Amino acid sequence: MNRHSTIPSIAASPRDCALAFRAALFLSALALLPLVSRAQQDRPTEYQVKAAYLFNFSRFVSWPSGPSSAVSRPFSICVLGRDPFGPILDATVAGERIGGRNVVVRRISQPAQAVDCRVLFISSSEDSRLKDILAALDKFTVLTVSDIPGFNEHGGMIEFVLQGDRVRFAVNLDSASEARLTFSSNLLKVAVAVRGNQPRGE
Amino acid sequence: MHLLQPASLASRLTRMNVLVSATALFLACAAFVAFDVITFRQSIVRNLSVQAQVLGSTSVASLVFNDRDSAQKTLAALHAAPDVVSACLYSADGRPFVEYHRDVPRGLPPVARLQPGEQEAYWFGHGDVMLLDPIVFQSEPIGYIYIESSLDALWARVRLYLFISAGVLLGALVAALAVSLSFRKVTLQPIHALAEVARAISQDRNYAVRAPAGGVPLELGDLVGAFNGMLVQIEQRDRELRDARDELEHRVELRTAELAAANKELESFSYSVSHDLRAPLRSIDGFSLALLQDYGDSLGADARDYFGRIRAATRRMGLLIDDLLNLARVTRCEIRHERVNLTDIARAVEADLRKADSSRAVECHIQEGVEAEGDVHLLRVVLDNLLSNAWKYTSRHPSACIEFGQMNSNGDRIYYVKDDGAGFDPAYAGKLFGAFQRLHGASEFPGTGVGLATVHRILLRHGGRIWAESEVEKGATFYFTV
Repeated sequence: MNRHSTIPSIAASPRDCALAFRAALFLSALALLPLVSRAQQDRPTEYQVKAAYLFNFSRFVSWPSGPSSAVSRPFSICVLGRDPFGPILDATVAGERIGGRNVVVRRISQPAQAVDCRVLFISSSEDSRLKDILAALDKFTVLTVSDIPGFNEHGGMIEFVLQGDRVRFAVNLDSASEARLTFSSNLLKVAVAVRGNQPRGE
Repeated sequence: MHLLQPASLASRLTRMNVLVSATALFLACAAFVAFDVITFRQSIVRNLSVQAQVLGSTSVASLVFNDRDSAQKTLAALHAAPDVVSACLYSADGRPFVEYHRDVPRGLPPVARLQPGEQEAYWFGHGDVMLLDPIVFQSEPIGYIYIESSLDALWARVRLYLFISAGVLLGALVAALAVSLSFRKVTLQPIHALAEVARAISQDRNYAVRAPAGGVPLELGDLVGAFNGMLVQIEQRDRELRDARDELEHRVELRTAELAAANKELESFSYSVSHDLRAPLRSIDGFSLALLQDYGDSLGADARDYFGRIRAATRRMGLLIDDLLNLARVTRCEIRHERVNLTDIARAVEADLRKADSSRAVECHIQEGVEAEGDVHLLRVVLDNLLSNAWKYTSRHPSACIEFGQMNSNGDRIYYVKDDGAGFDPAYAGKLFGAFQRLHGASEFPGTGVGLATVHRILLRHGGRIWAESEVEKGATFYFTV
């Protein structure tokens, strides 16, 4: 908990909603302030930010209910292709829960393996076969994210964009609604670009 | 009209009415304003809280995805809320993320102001209210929202309320005054009329007027009725008194006339009796003397003795007639008031007495400088009688002592004539001063029994009185005042 979206390094804290724990955590956060300011000075790396965003997207998106939304099954964030995150992503989601489900990171090599994935990050290593991958994912209710330029034009849902050294993202609502995913309006507000229309009566 | 009279009932009633309404209204207005300030403050805080929650939930993605631009845009929407002077979004670690200031940048409170676990903190400053809320997203705190709002609206509202209250108060006072004035006509007019009637009565003593009783409230009607009833009684009693007085006067006049007539009759009777009795008496005496002188030698000793007795009796009768004439004169004559030296008179009387009977050994003590206010001739008659009596009633004693003087008792000047002669039985003291009343026989002490009656009448006419103390053979003392 107490996820600092700006500082993913301290986001790896034990999850609990207990009040005392939260207070202790707040104090520890204060104790870590020098560290924070140093972290601020040497800003978090691009992939630290992207890992945090990848996790946070799932909090602003709702999936249609289906067999894969059962509480007993873990909430999977998958990485297709060469993993640019390394251990960062695992550290980011460690101990987190979404909708009462544990969050796990899976690395896959084929689109077909994404059947149980909720969020799929398509590595830039898959640029060449992107069209095929997206076509293969057509039947899955999976949130597709990538930093491949032109990802949205090809039918991807969220595309990381760099503005200077800041990580932003663009959204393709048409692709999302085809996959029966609903994006929170809050998410759309912070997106640099929104393609398509949010379906009415979301 | 009566407002300027401080003591009038009307102005007091009016003032009371106005004061009561003013007090009630003032309290009501104060309570209303206080209630409104409190509720309005609460509603300001509630509105601010809603605003903060809306802003917080709108800023969730901005905080999560670290997007200051969209957060700034969100806060900039506060420009539509004129009361909000400052706002700030804090990130979860408590550092300001974006700030909004309407005019000049203001100080921001630390998020520690919000106690751990607290849902909301708000506090009032000078002219503003501040509110700090945590922003929770999916039960995780992701930041804080702070809003500072000025209380100008509150004060404007309070001012408006005070203004309206003052207006209402003023209007109510005017209304109360008007109601009181019109009410006064109904209630106080009868009282004024009553007071007017009472004043007229006390000034003119005219008890025939009546207070008007028409169109008067119940209690006042009773009062007016009782007042009029009293007037009826007074009038009746007045009439009765006047009648009684008239009758008394009439009766007194009647009696006075009767008395005057009787008195006159009596006086002329006694005068004529005294006067007319003298003529036959003179004849008896004269012819007795002529008989004695012309035929005395031819009469026997017995006859001469009888004639002597006849003459003595006629002389005594003459004296009696003189005394009666004196008494009648005393009753009729005018009294002249002047300062009289009683000592001189007493000495003169003493000298006369000694000359008349030089054989007596009588000691006389006459106090110096005794004076009185009264008629000199009548007072001489008084002393003459009293001293002659003393002289006469000591004649059986070989030596005698007679005193005349004055003494003071309770501020009254009391004169006295004291002797050590025969005295009298005190049981008969009441009879002393009646005419022809004698306690001693004429053979014992000669006299007509008119002297003390004369003295009594003279002193009565002077406004004084006389009384006596005595015991048989132990002398007598006569006291009198003038």
